[in-house]
Amino acid sequence: MNEIIRTTGLTKKYGENYSVRNLDMRVFENRIYGFLGPNGAGKSTTLKMLLGLASPTKGEVDIFGQRMNSKNRIEILKEVGSLIESPSYYSHLTAAENLKILASLLDVPRGNIEKVLQIVRLDKQQNKKTAAFSLGMKQRLGLASALLSFPKLLILDEPTNGLDPAGIQEMRELIKTLPRQYGMTVIVSSHLLSEIDQMAEDIGIIANGKMMYQGELNMLHEMDKNKTLEEIFLDLTGKEQSL
Amino acid sequence: MIKLLKCEYRKTKGRYIFLTALLVTAVQIVWALYGKYTDTVLMNGWMTFLYQLPLVNAIFLPLLSIIVSSRLCDIEHKGVIFKQLSVISEKGKIFDAKFIYGVSIVIFCNIISWASTIIFGYIIGFSSDVPINLYLLYLLFTIAPTVAVYIFQHTLSMLFKNQAVTFFAGIIGTFCGLFSMFLPNIPLLRKLFIWGYYGVLQFVGMFGWTKETRMADVYFAVMDIDWLFFAILIAASVVMYIIGRILFCRKEV
Repeated sequence: MNEIIRTTGLTKKYGENYSVRNLDMRVFENRIYGFLGPNGAGKSTTLKMLLGLASPTKGEVDIFGQRMNSKNRIEILKEVGSLIESPSYYSHLTAAENLKILASLLDVPRGNIEKVLQIVRLDKQQNKKTAAFSLGMKQRLGLASALLSFPKLLILDEPTNGLDPAGIQEMRELIKTLPRQYGMTVIVSSHLLSEIDQMAEDIGIIANGKMMYQGELNMLHEMDKNKTLEEIFLDLTGKEQSL
Repeated sequence: MIKLLKCEYRKTKGRYIFLTALLVTAVQIVWALYGKYTDTVLMNGWMTFLYQLPLVNAIFLPLLSIIVSSRLCDIEHKGVIFKQLSVISEKGKIFDAKFIYGVSIVIFCNIISWASTIIFGYIIGFSSDVPINLYLLYLLFTIAPTVAVYIFQHTLSMLFKNQAVTFFAGIIGTFCGLFSMFLPNIPLLRKLFIWGYYGVLQFVGMFGWTKETRMADVYFAVMDIDWLFFAILIAASVVMYIIGRILFCRKEV
């Protein structure tokens, strides 16, 4: 399997506090990688470092086999779609107008706008101003923005935040189809074990900025058959938090 | 860069930023030109304007910069857009594009105001042709401090999510610049603030005025131009721009 992302000793320090510590992450092609950890574990900081939105204190990031630096960052990220923390949109514009702005910056065909709006099921609301959108619709618009160039790699940070159970289910099913239908590799972060358990094939568990487990989700299930996945997760993250 | 500039235009659709800037300019023009035009004033009209307008500019143009820059950046902060733009374009280019777009609006308004003054002078019947060289110089000395002030406002607006911070800093600066113009006995004071450069670069002075003098005895004349401080202003603008750009590029979004 091809490695799409490899981080080596990735570290981020704010003042004296480590947000991420010596993180070695491996993400493989056409897989869904669940990035799981409690709130404040360092998930968003890690994803921001992958996108160059935060600069690492130490360590390296390789994406598509290229070492990312300030010179090649934008070139590499042309093949990466992202939704970090909360969706970005101009509230005084419609969904279609928002996507048109992104499409012209990304140099992607206008036809992609219609396609992604259909994928996230916002095609009927495309001419509505986003200020009037519900949180779920904004989240779907965020996903549409990330999908706009049909990138090879999709990075989604807590994409189900603020969604109702039906919205979560819908988003989950949608994410699950992406590797098969569009050949994408997906990284999804969440603090909800059940969510990751239902969509990820590989998993990375982070606590206090340290990677506690990384590998196939099935292997995690096999680790201790007497324990539920939740108990294993709590064991892994609880140990670190008590240190 | 062209793509980013086109996007700036599209983003501002429905935000009436250009219209707001024109409204501020209209108020500025009315404020500057409203008055009683006696025969004496008509005789010295062009020079009177060159003497009086820098003060009006020192009030309105920083305000125009505050409004344009903060409205342009507010749409990005409100929509948490910088994060998304930063993975598509280099942050430095985002900073540049937004600056070029905003400063173009402000400079365009400067030119409108300048042209209105000349047209008004002809309509009201100033008793000579416009001294075009002096008016071109005046335009240059209006645009230069405006660009400096815009760079300051643009940097703050890009860095701070809360636009009240930029508004407050801009108003404080405007007051400092304005009051420094009322203290000609301390010439260094106005040279310390970029907002005071409308006065520093004023090149027409009023002479023959004392407490007892009547308006008829007053005359206006061209003074020595402080090119050194013009150069200092340009240098300060370049330094502010570079620092602002670096700070924005380093800022984590």
